[in-house]
Amino acid sequence: MSNRETYDSAFTETFMIEAKDLPGLKYQGVAAWDSVGHMALMAALEEAFGIEMDIDDIIEFSGYEAGQAILSKYNVAIEPAA
Amino acid sequence: MKPVPDLPVTLRVGGPLRTIERRPLPPYAPEVLAFLTALSKRLLTAPQTRLHPDIAAFAYWCRPANLARLQRAFGAAHARLGRGLALHIAPANVPVNFAFSFAFGLLAGNANIVRIPDAGHPQAEVICDALAALFADPAHRRVAAMNRLIRYPRSDAITGSLSQIAQARLLWGGDETVSRLRALPVHPRCVDIAFADRYSFCILDADAVLEASDTVLASLVKGFYDDVFLLDQNACSSPHLVLWQGTAKAKAAQARFWPAMTAYLEKSYALAPVHAVDKFVHLCATAIALPEAAASQRHDNFVYRVVLDRLPADIERHRGRNGFFYEHATDDLTCLAGIVEERYQTVTTFGIDRDALVQSIIAQGLSGIDRVVPVGKALDIGVIWDGYDLIGELSRIVHTA
Repeated sequence: MSNRETYDSAFTETFMIEAKDLPGLKYQGVAAWDSVGHMALMAALEEAFGIEMDIDDIIEFSGYEAGQAILSKYNVAIEPAA
Repeated sequence: MKPVPDLPVTLRVGGPLRTIERRPLPPYAPEVLAFLTALSKRLLTAPQTRLHPDIAAFAYWCRPANLARLQRAFGAAHARLGRGLALHIAPANVPVNFAFSFAFGLLAGNANIVRIPDAGHPQAEVICDALAALFADPAHRRVAAMNRLIRYPRSDAITGSLSQIAQARLLWGGDETVSRLRALPVHPRCVDIAFADRYSFCILDADAVLEASDTVLASLVKGFYDDVFLLDQNACSSPHLVLWQGTAKAKAAQARFWPAMTAYLEKSYALAPVHAVDKFVHLCATAIALPEAAASQRHDNFVYRVVLDRLPADIERHRGRNGFFYEHATDDLTCLAGIVEERYQTVTTFGIDRDALVQSIIAQGLSGIDRVVPVGKALDIGVIWDGYDLIGELSRIVHTA
């Protein structure tokens, strides 16, 4: 699986949404991405990429696009969308 | 090894007591990490967790990245092994506390018998159901064999029987409960970790509150809310006293902080009428009992503030609930030496140099304060708690020279 596929499926599986809904998605943009959903997403991403995120990055992880920039700090490069 | 007796308890999770496997594991054993990882995942994706942020916080705490961080911080200076059987008497005031206590015992490598309080918290059922499902999975056979979660009505006979076979006890509760449990005869090598009544307070720097951006103020308010109101000011780490550093600007800072707090409470907190009455009654009692109480201010029924012109040495005996605070302004934090004693646990701070405060606690040789954390972190329980390194205390060193 490409990093993008892994990244996308963390969102779609955690929030039960479809891949087409991901671009532009922001924190609290869907009901499932509330504070509890945020913890589930962070845990899913840490596990999927084998990383430990800093608390500041977890707080600043405010959307689908912003998250890709944050993951790049952990040497996780999300490929451009096909 | 003394056999585990059959006792009249309700088995909530795990098999009969007499079949419990008491052979310990080393701290942070792979079996335990795999189990807590599975528990974290299961709880974070359970629909009921959405209703209970405290379950989410527990599940998030036991995610693998955090456990890996804790394991590194624990280090490997000594070869270690769990002590054996840990008995947990969990408290009723914090619904998910039993789960943390259990996780500490597990991470240290122990077999565990956890008495869950019968307090009707739905959180306990959600967590126990998840534990039971994992115990049934053959992948977690070893952890399932080593652990039991039980209920029984308060009984010194049952607690006494279990105490005689335990190598460690984690006793959560008020002073009276802890003293009674500690009077029971225990296994000669048993280590007791007693979490008795504690008192906590908050220090806010007046300048920092005045200079904070609206965003920073909003996060301070949310943090203070989490520390106090998530558990109705009943947690041992929730603040009862608010000390303002900086007498010159304290009034202005209070005039910024408390209205923002009240506005947040209006939209976030369901205030029970009985709590409003309790606070008023408590205010009357305070006015009679506390000569240092110079004035009071009420923000709707959400927040009651009692202004202290001097800090009484016994301030920790005067505590309210559900949003009742004592307040005092000072320019010199060495005034803490006049009030702090063993009962003091957590100081939450904003705009204060926490490292310097810790150094000053040590330099003054204060008999209390185990924790200095930012506002918002009061309830974040962890493997260092009440001044104990819990994984260290709950495991033994196998030394070689």
